[in-house]
Parts: sequence; structure tokens; C-alpha cells
Amino acid sequence: MNPRRIGILFRKELFQGTKGFIFIWAIVMPLLISFALSALFGTLFSEKPKLGVLDEDGSQLSVMLEEYDSIRYKEFTALSDIQRAVEDGAVDVGIIIPDGFDISVKQGEPTEITAYIWGESLAKDRTVLLVTLANMIREMAAQEAPVEIETISLGEEEIIPWNVRLLPLIMLFAVFLGGVFIPATSLIDEKEKKTLTALVVTPTSLVDVFMAKGLLGFVLSMFVGIIVLLINQALGAQPLLLIMVLALGAIMAVELGMIFGAIMKDISTLFAIWKSCGILLFGPGIIYMFPQIPQWVGRIFPTYYMLEPLMAISQKAAGWSDIALNVFVLIGIDALLFALVLFTIKRTRQLDR
Amino acid sequence: MNWGIIKALVYKDFFLFFRNRFIGIVTILGLVLYIVFYFVMPKTIDESLEIGLYAPVNIPAFEQVQAEGLVLTTVESEERLKEAVIDGDYVAGIALPSDALETLIAGQVPDIKLYIASDVPEEIKDSVVVIIKELAYQQAGQPLTVDIKEEVLGTDMAGMQIPPRDRLRPMLAIYLILFETFGLANLIAEELSKGTVRALLVTPMSSRDLFTGKGIFGVGFAFIQAVFFMAIVGGLNNQPVIILLALLLGSMMAAALGFLIGSLAKDFMSVLAWGMIIFILMAIPGFGVMFPGAVTGWITYVPSYYLVDTVHRVASFGAGWGDIWLNLVILLIFDAVVFWIGILGIRRRAL
Repeated sequence: MNPRRIGILFRKELFQGTKGFIFIWAIVMPLLISFALSALFGTLFSEKPKLGVLDEDGSQLSVMLEEYDSIRYKEFTALSDIQRAVEDGAVDVGIIIPDGFDISVKQGEPTEITAYIWGESLAKDRTVLLVTLANMIREMAAQEAPVEIETISLGEEEIIPWNVRLLPLIMLFAVFLGGVFIPATSLIDEKEKKTLTALVVTPTSLVDVFMAKGLLGFVLSMFVGIIVLLINQALGAQPLLLIMVLALGAIMAVELGMIFGAIMKDISTLFAIWKSCGILLFGPGIIYMFPQIPQWVGRIFPTYYMLEPLMAISQKAAGWSDIALNVFVLIGIDALLFALVLFTIKRTRQLDR
Repeated sequence: MNWGIIKALVYKDFFLFFRNRFIGIVTILGLVLYIVFYFVMPKTIDESLEIGLYAPVNIPAFEQVQAEGLVLTTVESEERLKEAVIDGDYVAGIALPSDALETLIAGQVPDIKLYIASDVPEEIKDSVVVIIKELAYQQAGQPLTVDIKEEVLGTDMAGMQIPPRDRLRPMLAIYLILFETFGLANLIAEELSKGTVRALLVTPMSSRDLFTGKGIFGVGFAFIQAVFFMAIVGGLNNQPVIILLALLLGSMMAAALGFLIGSLAKDFMSVLAWGMIIFILMAIPGFGVMFPGAVTGWITYVPSYYLVDTVHRVASFGAGWGDIWLNLVILLIFDAVVFWIGILGIRRRAL
């Protein structure tokens, strides 16, 4: 192994490989997925019912509804817009507040509100929105609630917000997409174009080539991983420890990439493997999303040993003693994969001869 | 047109596609996974807020509540109520004091205990609180001076909501169809870059035979998978002829896009690059069915919308020919135009 040659090959990979689709895909996809899933689960999977309001008179009711956190409020300026929003399901209920509404309510005069209801909205959402509306009107009319409610929380289960549930899956995408694909596709491409054979007849060894490609995958994997953590504000209290775990995960990814690159004949086979076996890498991320699934199931997957310490540091402020065991297992997996990488390099060398 | 030649070409493409046994297995595995994914999704939809009620005295407003989307179930003791809330039987539990009715009648304010599991979202807690307040207002005889005039827009689906897995059905069907775009595009790109298309055209095969053969393979392969999937997941129960026609036009769309991408791409990587952009774009309308209101009017400019909309409306709402004929016409026109462009592109590169 010659560090100078690895450096030269690494520079070549970095400046020429970056023009390729896979390179862009490996960087852009995790970031896109991070933004898209955060938006999707942050808003679309929210259980809050959606209320649309058309209020041309500036009623106090619309201000109260807008400030109320337990519904999603949307304002409209035209009757046709609110009707379309209800028909399309953009809101569950759309209300039209008439002119002079506040005065009528405060003087106790009978008045009327039109509420358009989306036909496909859930019955409970309709009830919650209409009851909330009635409650707010009563507040406006200075009616005092005839009951005192004491809320008592039972059990110790915590609400895990969707953005936290999703972070493991996004992290896996960030680390493994680039980490696996960059070295794998680059090696397969060199094999297909026969440039790998051309390279190894020079003083450059196969180990140098593999290491250079692995290094690029590692740098990219770390870069995207840290960016995703920053976007999600999940660097936690111990960023150095977090980066160490991320680095061990990135090593696992590039080792897998190098093994795939060494044994696969073409890109189609690589994608076919990815399509069917990707679940082995992303399984823990999916399990983390659903707390109902027994969490021990995650231990079956190798990526669990990167993900668990990562989540413990970023979400539970865990220290070294809390994550040590999982980190040692991760190091063990990395070492095992490294031995496999060396074996596949040896095999590639033999086949080349 | 020489149907013998076309048949041979379809066979050739079929075997070329499955030459790599691994890809063949993965294609079948993918189909199985889609079906499994459909069946693991919830088959019912929870439309109601189920609340437990412990009421040592009879309070009519609470016990005879008739609001849609609200189910109040009486339990025999406060302890049982707490257990049921912890076990997740109810989203919340209301425990009324034994003097609740007397206190209300006397114009005083009774203390009501509301038990909520710690993992219940804040909006549900707030909703239950406003519901209790409203029931108490009714019991205390304090009417609302505002009349809320309700009008349902669209078909009122209360009590017969479409479960998540049926909303997912058009999305899965279109994904299955669209994935075949990659396969066909790769096949065409490979043939163009290796020059086998040109070699084929110096045989007695005409260019019309060639494109018909490729088209039949592409359409047939996507169509068979989509039909198999829809048949298993019950998507053919309503108006099967319309659904089959829509799937056929959808498969033609995938094949036409395959022609187009194949004519532009040089290798698998560029097939992937072009294919990914088109796939993401075409997949968006399925997302719109899954999450109504998430996408706006521009979605109608995406051709796959007309496939998704047809499958969703027919399979889930029992729509008929009169409701969706325009969707099918738009799909047909799109297919014809893209096929034509794709064929022109292939011809230009091959000849």
C-alpha cells in the first residue's frame, strides 16, 4: 500500500468522479429525502385536523383559531378558494365568518356560520373542529366553562415526534447511499471498461485502487452524514463522540461498497441487490419509526450498531459508557468486513491474472 | 407487419431481460413485496375518538352523547378506567365526581378528572378537553347563540372511509408500472449502444416490426404485473374493464417513456439518471391520493395523474365510464405522442 499513490488516485476520483450521476445522486438524494420526509411527516402525518377560514371582517374568532395549537389553520380570501380547498381535502372544514359576527356574539344575538365539510374527512376531525369552534365562540361571548378539568397523565411512554423517528432512516440513507455506491459503482465501472487491469499493470496495486475509492466513499459519507445531522439539529452534546460513531458507520458502508464492487459484474446487478437486500441495511431505521415493534428486532441488522449509539448520543445525551458495548460490536463488524475486503481484493487479483 | 418476427423479438427481449437470473428473481420478489406491503397496511380506519367514562351518577349530556366521531363508553370503576387508558383501549378517560349533577344544577363548577395516556398527542388531549366543556355547557343549559350550518362537499364518506391500504393501491400499481420503464429503457439503450438495433434492421425485419415487438414486450411486462397486483389486492372488484383499460394505458405510458429514455440514454447510468427524474415526477400523483390536499392543481399537468385518478375513483368510489372517459382519452393521447417521439429518437440514433 502506497499512501502517495492512494492520494493521487483519490484526487482523480474526487475531480472526475464528481461529474458522474451517482456522485450527485449520493449527495443530493439523502438531503432531498431529509427535507421531503421532514416536510411529509412534520405536516402531512400530523393528526391535527385542518380548518380553513374565510373572514373578510377581521373577526376575533379567526385570531383565536389561528393561535390555537391543536388544529391546523389556513386562511382564505375568496369563497371559491375555500370551497375548492374543502373539495380537494386541503382542509377538513372550511368556515365563512359573516360580517358583524363579533358584535352579534357579544350581544348574544342569534347568528350563523357556514361550515363546508370535506366529504372524506374523518368523523372525529369534523367533531373536534366544530366543537372547538363552538368553544371559541363561547369564549368570545364570555361564557364561563361550567366545569373544571384536571388532566392526569398515565403511563411512562413518551411521545416520539415523527422527525425524531425518521432521523435514523435518513441517517442510514446519508451514510450508506454514498458510502456503498461510490466505491461499488466506481470499481464496477473500471472493471467494465477494463481500466482496472490497465491500472494494476503500473506500480499501483489493487489495494491502492480499492483504498482510494473507499476513501472517497468515506469522505462523502461523512460529509453527507454531518450535513444531515446539522439540518436536523441533532449533533447532540457530544459531537466528537457522534462523529466517531458516524466514522465507524461510514467505514462499514465503504467496506460493503468495496465488496460489492469487487464481486459484482455490472451496475444492473448492483442495483438488483440494492433493490432486494437494501432492507438489511435500512431495517433498523424502519423499526425505529414504529415503537410498537419490539426494539430487539433491530439487533439482527448490522447497521443497528451504528444507529443505536448515534441516536443515543444525539437524542438521549448518552456518553461513552452508555454506548461502549454497541460501538465495540460495530468495530467488530468493521474488522470482519475489512477481512472480507482483503479476501475479495486477493480474489480479484487472482481472477485478473 | 410480420407477426412471426414480432413474436421472436418479444421472446428474445423476454429472455434477455431474465438472462440475469438474479434480476428475474428480484422482479418477482419486488411484486411479492408490494403485495405484502399492501396487506400489512391498516385495513380499517379509526374514525372515532373512543373515550371511557366513569359516571357514578347519571348525567344525560355525557351518557346520551350522539356526536359523530365520538364514542363514549361507560366503565364500572375509576380504577378500570385508568387501566383501560393505560392499555390504550381509550384515548382518554373521563371520571365524573359523584356530585357532578347536583353541582351543575346548583350553578357551581364540578371538578372532572381527565385521564390521558402519556403518549397521546397534545392535540388529542386538547380536543377531549373542548369536548368535555361542550358537553358540560349543554348539560348546564347554556345554548350556543350561533347556528353552525353544515354543508358536506363531495361524497359524504363518514362511516365508510377509505382505509390507508386502499388509498395506497393506485400508488403501488403505478410504481409497479413505472419501474418497468427502467428495464425497457435499459434494453433499448443497450441495443442502441451495441448496435444490435441496426443489425436487426438489416434482416427482413422492418422498423415497424421492431417497434411493435419492443412495445408489446414493454407494455405486456408492466401490464401483467399491474393486473396481477390489482387482482390480488382487490382492485378489480369494481368495474374491472375500466381498471384493466386504465392499467393498459398506464403500461403503454411506461413503455412510451421507456422508448423515450432509451433513445436519449447511452448506458445504464444515464437510463437511471433520466429515469429517476421521470419516475419521481410521475410518482407524485399517487402521493396526492395517499395524502389528499397535499398537492395542488398543477398535479393535473402530470400525465400519470389521469391513471391514478381513474384507478382511485373507480376502485374506491365505483366511478363509471361517464366519470373517467376524459382521463382515458388524455392518457391515450399522451401515450401516442411520447411513443412517437421515442420512436423518432431511436430511429435517429439507429439509422
